[in-house]
Parts: sequence; structure tokens; C-alpha cells
Amino acid sequence: MSNLAIGLAGVLALLGILFIRVPIGVALVLVGMCGYAAIDGWRTALTMVGAVPFELASAYSLSVVPLFILMGAVASRAGMSRELFDAANAIFSGFRGALASATIGACAAFGAICGSSIATAATFSRVAIPEMRRHGYDAGVAAGSVAAAGCLGILIPPSVILAIYSLVAEQSLARLFAAALFPGLLLATLYVLATVLLARARPQYMPKVPAMDLASRLRAARGLWKLAVLFFLAVVGIYLGWFSPTEAAAVAAFAAIVIGFATRSLGLRGLLDAFLDTVYSSAMLFFIIVGAFIFSRFIVLARVPYELVAWVNEVELSPAAIVLAVVLLYFLLGTFLEEVSTILITVPVVLPLMASIGYDGIWFGIFVTVMATIGLISPPVGLTVFVIQAQNPDIPVGRIYKGTLPFLAADFVLVGLLIAFPALALWLPAALRM
Amino acid sequence: MSGDTGDRGLTPIFTKAFGVLAAAFLAAMVGLTVADVVLRSFFASPIRGMLELIELGLACTIFIALPAVFLRREHLVVDVIDHFARPRVVRFLDRLGALVSLGVLAVMAWQMWPLAQTMVEFGDVTSDLSIPRMYYWIPVLAGVVASALAVLIKIR
Repeated sequence: MSNLAIGLAGVLALLGILFIRVPIGVALVLVGMCGYAAIDGWRTALTMVGAVPFELASAYSLSVVPLFILMGAVASRAGMSRELFDAANAIFSGFRGALASATIGACAAFGAICGSSIATAATFSRVAIPEMRRHGYDAGVAAGSVAAAGCLGILIPPSVILAIYSLVAEQSLARLFAAALFPGLLLATLYVLATVLLARARPQYMPKVPAMDLASRLRAARGLWKLAVLFFLAVVGIYLGWFSPTEAAAVAAFAAIVIGFATRSLGLRGLLDAFLDTVYSSAMLFFIIVGAFIFSRFIVLARVPYELVAWVNEVELSPAAIVLAVVLLYFLLGTFLEEVSTILITVPVVLPLMASIGYDGIWFGIFVTVMATIGLISPPVGLTVFVIQAQNPDIPVGRIYKGTLPFLAADFVLVGLLIAFPALALWLPAALRM
Repeated sequence: MSGDTGDRGLTPIFTKAFGVLAAAFLAAMVGLTVADVVLRSFFASPIRGMLELIELGLACTIFIALPAVFLRREHLVVDVIDHFARPRVVRFLDRLGALVSLGVLAVMAWQMWPLAQTMVEFGDVTSDLSIPRMYYWIPVLAGVVASALAVLIKIR
């Protein structure tokens, strides 16, 4: 068997093993190790398996991951979502679809800090869905808007996914954060637009809620300050040259703790839970990262990325066809694989391909992250949809999926815009002279 | 990714113990970094060897928490098959998955051992603070071994 054939067999074997519920990290190590051995012998394969965990365990650039997760966990435990929803409500109040638009705005801001789409969806399914249904919103629309908007945060900086991408793709995290800002805000705007259009087309789904008066609007909008402080420290601090990304994450996590205690919204119990949530989910992610590194050593050894680029050149595929194929690939993977694994597994193969037709690594990071948000809400395995369904058992999954459709359309509009105008992502990092 | 621990006996205690110990290292990372930023910004005297300390904190945080993840059976799996396979089949697959996990962790530990030994024999230290390199390796190795044991006791 040629090396390339072994590589492709490895990819298929991985999909098969994942399908029978072997944990993702374990499956990656197993296939990576066996594939490496098939090409280069067991001696080197086993040595590599022993060495990779040590190498990654003390990789400074990875320390940003648990620290950002901690900041989000503390913000969640300190109940910052409720105030944020009230504030967003105060801002949007007054037009048809305002409540759903407020949900989108609040999810975007909270998700940016929280970093986990699942935690954001779970939180807002408690905060926003009952409120929308109380005002007569269609249950599917209410749940669908939370499912979709819960994913905005993985794109808007600071983003844990981009931190992990920056490591596998060897790209600057500061540039990635800058590149993600406009696409993230644009996607949130597109979601609000989708809501407004839906409200116009199907007014019965979203009854008009009376507008708040100015005084209560101002009062509620003050709730924004906590997340504004965290965003400032975690993102702006990096660009002002105050902190490295790791320092920014640590300082922002510390600030979240201080704010939580100072406003009496966080106790020792909540703090401990936030820390425990963080170490468990960091360790889980880390094991997948170790597996993905072992798997990608095998894929690179099998020269899959190189052969793929060569093959594409040989059959003279047009760039448009390549881009279309890549969009399709991520859409399909996203339907069953969780987003971090998708990125870790595919980037070593797809990035060289995209680079060969002139897209750079920063742009590609934004692109795959947008594709990941699509995977999070698309059937049959939309993780955020399931989270919401678990908390609102009376809303059928089918109705939630239907509720996410307008947002799925908005996602694809953004994908199209990103492909047509790469500057959407690349302008800001260039303007900041990074 | 269910948090189904089906806990009896010592499992929750061990889970919590690993979690709290890992959390202590994470807290140390936060504290040290904040202290370093403050000292550097306001007193122009950064903490020496921050990079090495953070890396040590990271290795300890992650690999001490890893056994807890296995005890909590919290690893991400692709659960497409749950939608059409019978529960009995899913349970069988989970047991199979646990056996595969055990095998993979055992191989990892077995291969990490000689590397750790070499490290001890050479007595490498870090460049800034002269921290013996083996301090970085011990938590990683111990975490993988403890994870293998965690899988072993959770196989039902």
C-alpha cells in the first residue's frame, strides 16, 4: 500500500471508530499511532506517542486555553447573563422581534466572554426562552434563536476555538482575534436582520412587546459594564500591548472573580464550581488536542496534504470548486463531529490546500470557525439544539431545528461574503499593523 | 458527553480530590500571572522565569484533572449511533470504548516511562529557574497512569 493509501485508510478508520462511540481523543491516538507504525514502523510510532503528551503539557501557548475557559466559567457562575439580557432588552425594546433581537445581542456578548456555545445556549435557554414564550413568541422561534445565537461567541473574540486553531495552524492569536471581530459582529447583525425579516413575514410568531420607557432603559443598560470590563481586559489589552494573550486571559479571569465577589453575585461555592468546571473541561479538551497532534503527525507523514494539493493541481480544479468542496466538507463534518475536534483534525490537511489557492492562515481560521457555528446547529447532531431541548422538553427537536433555519441562512450569507471579500477578516489585522 | 457518573463509594471523593488539586494549580497560574503583570507594570520588577512557572502550572493542572475526566466519563464521543441503535448495543459499545481507552492509555504510559527515565538520568534543568525537567514530566506520567486506572475501575 502506498503511504497515501494508508493515510486515506486512516481517515476512514477514524470515522468508523468514532462512529462506534470510542472517545474522540482515544480514537485519534489509536489511529494516529497505528497509521504512523504502518508507514514508519512501531519503534518510531511508539516513541512519538510517548513524547507528544510531554511536549504539549508544557506548551506555553496552550496555557491561554484553561485561563479563557476560567473567565467564562466565572462569568457564568456569577450570573452575568441575566443582567446582560435585561440590558440588551432595554436597547432593542420597541419593535416587532425586539425580544429575539435582544437575545441575539446578549448571547453574542455573553458568548464572547464565556467562550462555550453549549454553556451560552444552556444559560440563555433558562433566561431568554421563558421570557419570549411569556410574551407569546412561537416556541420554535424562541428556542431556535437561542440555539443559533449561542454559537456567535465562539467567533467573537476572545475565542477559545481560535486559541486552539492558532496553535495547530501556527498563526498569531492576536491577529486571529482582530480578524474575527468584524465577521463576528456582522454575523450578529445578520442574525438580527433575519429576525426582523421573519417578524415581518410571520408576525404571529413574534407579538409586539410594549416599549420600555427611557428611564428604565438607562437603568437596565448599566448592567453592561461587567462584560465590557472583561472584554476590554481580555481583548483590547492585547492590542494596547499591555498583555500577551495568556496574561490577558489570566487578568480577565481574575477580574471576573473580583467583580463577582464585589457585586456579591459570586460566593466561594460558585468560585470552586467554576474552577472545577474549568479544569475538567480543559483536561478533556487537552486530551483531544494530544490525540489530534498524534493523528496529524501521521497524516503529515503519509503526505496526505501534499498529495491532495498535487492532485488538485493535476486535475486543474478551479479555486471556486475547491472552496465549494471545502465548505461542503466542513458542513458534513459539522453535522456529527464537535467543533474543536473538527478543526484539530482537518486543519493540517485543508490549510495547505487553501493556501495553495491563495487564502492565508488567518482568513482560514475565521472561515473554519464560522463553519463550526453552522455545525453546532445543523441536524442530525446540533449540540446546542440538544442542550436547549434537554432544558425545554416540551419543545420538539424538529421545531427547534426549524427555528434555526433563518439563522442558518444568515450563516451561509456570511460564508459567501467571507469567500468573496477576504478583506472582511483581513482588513483589521492589517490596519492594526500586526 | 453525559455527566453520568453512577457514583458509588470512593469515586466522587477521588474525582473531587483530583479536581481540587488541579484547580489549585490553575489558581496559582492566575495568581502568579496577575502578580507578574502588576509588579511589571507598577514596580518594573517582573517575576523571573514566568514562562517556566506557567508551563509547570499547565502540566499539573491538565494532567491532574485528566483522571477526573475519565472517572466522570465525560469524554466527548460522537453519538450519532444512539439515535438508531438499541440501548443494549450502546452500552456494549461504551464498554468496548472503555477497553480501547484503557489500551491506548496503557500504551501511552508504557512509552512515556523510558522518556521520563532518561530525563531523570540526564538531570536536565530549565534555563531560568533551574527547575528539574522531571517535575514537568512527573504530573504528566502520573496523570496518564491514574487515568488508565480510572478507566479500569469504571469498566462495568
